[in-house]
Amino acid sequence: MFAELGRAPTAVEVGAAMDEAADTVTASWRRLHDAHALVLDGSAIHMAHPFSAVPTPYRVDADGRSWYANCAWDAFGICAALGVDGHIDTTCPDCATRLSIDVRQRQPDDATVLFHCLVPAAQWWDDIVFT
Amino acid sequence: MCLFRSEEHIERWLAGRPAGATIPVTTLCDLAHAWWHDRLAPDWRPHTTEQNQAILDACGLVDEFWHLA
Repeated sequence: MFAELGRAPTAVEVGAAMDEAADTVTASWRRLHDAHALVLDGSAIHMAHPFSAVPTPYRVDADGRSWYANCAWDAFGICAALGVDGHIDTTCPDCATRLSIDVRQRQPDDATVLFHCLVPAAQWWDDIVFT
Repeated sequence: MCLFRSEEHIERWLAGRPAGATIPVTTLCDLAHAWWHDRLAPDWRPHTTEQNQAILDACGLVDEFWHLA
């Protein structure tokens, strides 16, 4: 539903689609959260990787719709998950210059850009919001 | 996990903090596809640590920084 709506669905919306109570949906989300398959903020979805429920510096346009990604990796991940070309808009964290990248047939149109990951992989889930 | 214009911009942004790992955006694109291409499949299940480590390895990300556990 996240991909279709362009935003995180509520537990009530998912429950209605699945003929389940919202509390049942929330309990399922909690199990997915504990398995690192979802990130909750209270009882609401914060991250359903690669999609973000809140605005971020990574905006992705693809297939006629738009989403926020959690990070640069997830921005490309949204195109991959949808299996379509797309467009990523962000800014360089150093100089705030706009970085605008088209993804066509699984390749970025600007190969000069660099990706930096600050936190080692083994520590990503210590604080998944800061990686 | 950010995109930068160049190595110079990364170094300036770090402002003396220890650097993490830097890879070309082309490698990131390959990695993202391998990691997330199945995310919306109806029968999707979270990848195991071993599956994800194999994806990192296949993208050439084999040093200790990229070890998941």
